Amino acid sequence: MSPGDIVSTIVNEFPYALYGSMLVGVAAAFLGVFIVARRVVFFGAVLTQVSVLGLTATFLPFFALPHTVGSLVVTLFAVVILSQLLTGKDVPRDAILGVVFVIAIAARILIMQKAPKVEAAEVESLLRGDILFVTPDLFWLMAGAFVVAMLLHGLFAKEFTFINFDAETARTQGYNAGMWNLIFYLNAGMIIAFATHMVGDLFVFGFLVVPPVAASLLAKRVRTIFAVSVLIGLISPPIGLFFAFLWDFPASPTIVGVASVILLGAYLLRLVRRR
Amino acid sequence: MTPYIIFENTTLGYGSKVILRDLTFTIEEGDYFGIVGPNGAGKTTILRAILGVLKPLAGRVQFQSRTGEPLRIGYVPQRDTIDDVLPYTVDEVVMMGRYRTLGMFRHPSATDRSAVAKSLDHVGMGDLAGHIFKDLSGGQKQRVLIARALAGDPTVLVLDEPTNGMDLPSRYSILDLTRRLHDQDGLTVIIVSHLLDDVANHASRIAIVEQSFFQVGTVSEVLTGRNLSDLYGLPVGVETIQGRTIILAGGTNVSR
Repeated sequence: MSPGDIVSTIVNEFPYALYGSMLVGVAAAFLGVFIVARRVVFFGAVLTQVSVLGLTATFLPFFALPHTVGSLVVTLFAVVILSQLLTGKDVPRDAILGVVFVIAIAARILIMQKAPKVEAAEVESLLRGDILFVTPDLFWLMAGAFVVAMLLHGLFAKEFTFINFDAETARTQGYNAGMWNLIFYLNAGMIIAFATHMVGDLFVFGFLVVPPVAASLLAKRVRTIFAVSVLIGLISPPIGLFFAFLWDFPASPTIVGVASVILLGAYLLRLVRRR
Repeated sequence: MTPYIIFENTTLGYGSKVILRDLTFTIEEGDYFGIVGPNGAGKTTILRAILGVLKPLAGRVQFQSRTGEPLRIGYVPQRDTIDDVLPYTVDEVVMMGRYRTLGMFRHPSATDRSAVAKSLDHVGMGDLAGHIFKDLSGGQKQRVLIARALAGDPTVLVLDEPTNGMDLPSRYSILDLTRRLHDQDGLTVIIVSHLLDDVANHASRIAIVEQSFFQVGTVSEVLTGRNLSDLYGLPVGVETIQGRTIILAGGTNVSR
């Protein structure tokens, strides 16, 4: 296929794959700035795995919910539990996250082995998040979640900023840091659950980390970091889809690869600037 | 003078663990109040009670003001508790001090921006308003955090280890600023520090904190060689040279 044919195929035959991956790219890249700034990148990794566990669990007869609902329920439940566990000082935070990470993967493998309804190809497709087969329903669900997330961040920008920067002082000013953290993580959990179902754990985790890191290398102001991160989240998916079609690669890894190339470019640019 | 913060038979701790028992003292309007003691003695516990984020296990902590309005406490945390991964500018950081007065859903107005500029000028940081906070020196960061506390128009300024890890000029400059805020602006200042010299030469009253020992009084009443020797478990001398109090670990051996 010529480049023109590839673009035409993507736009005309896989519009939801294109717009859906761009939507997830933007949402994850935006939330990722906070996740990287809070030094809870591993939290993002854990939530994507928990979200995958929720998807897999819907194959169990007693948890036969729609995949998206199952993923959302399990992810939000994990957020609430983790928000309690992570405030304690008996076990290091990383260790708690590591335990949940491992349990989520182990439970997923066990469920896949024993769940009666499981068909290997269907599960594989769900877990990898087959971008090309994003449905309109899933796309609009994700769009709704994105609007809710952005509204929350718009309305409570001050609160999230203050808690993120200096939770101790924010508490002295009457802010309930625990509550605002929970709202932030529930919001992130909602996006991660829908996005993981839509495009898979690699894509979501990749875009929670790679664009924010690249943006922090390129930009010097907080607002610019958000803008650059979102821009990388927006442009990487169409470029990645193009190359996936061109070279017959799987879509998610190619898209994450494009974002990573941008990250490498940002790093090199920073090195040049410093000289 | 109006008592601003009143500890009445207050027991402080976390869960079932008691840290400090039966504290009774007041911090009054116009005080420059120092809280000193070894690491782990409970200074931070008292601080958290003053800030209203730790409820007493027994007794009470009462806050009152001359006008009957709620006491406005401006808090300056230890610099290293701030996680400045994102490059917030100095004025963005100081604006956080206005968030309480702004309330929910409201964005900063021209009045808020003017209050921020005024606070920065007041601490001598007006020229650095657009600079990135995390790129500043320790002393500059401390001044910005003081400006943030001032932006909330406080009646009481609480500083937690404000000179920790600073070189001599920065240390002197920060203490001089707090002195000025107390003497010229009439702010009540509460300073928590493990650096006895800093507190001894600026505070008008001092609380010495240790789990089995708690005493409040003027500097000359409280900072005695005997008290400090008991507190730290080694000979400590207290000397006055040219009007300044010098604390000498290991005893008194001063060449004049």
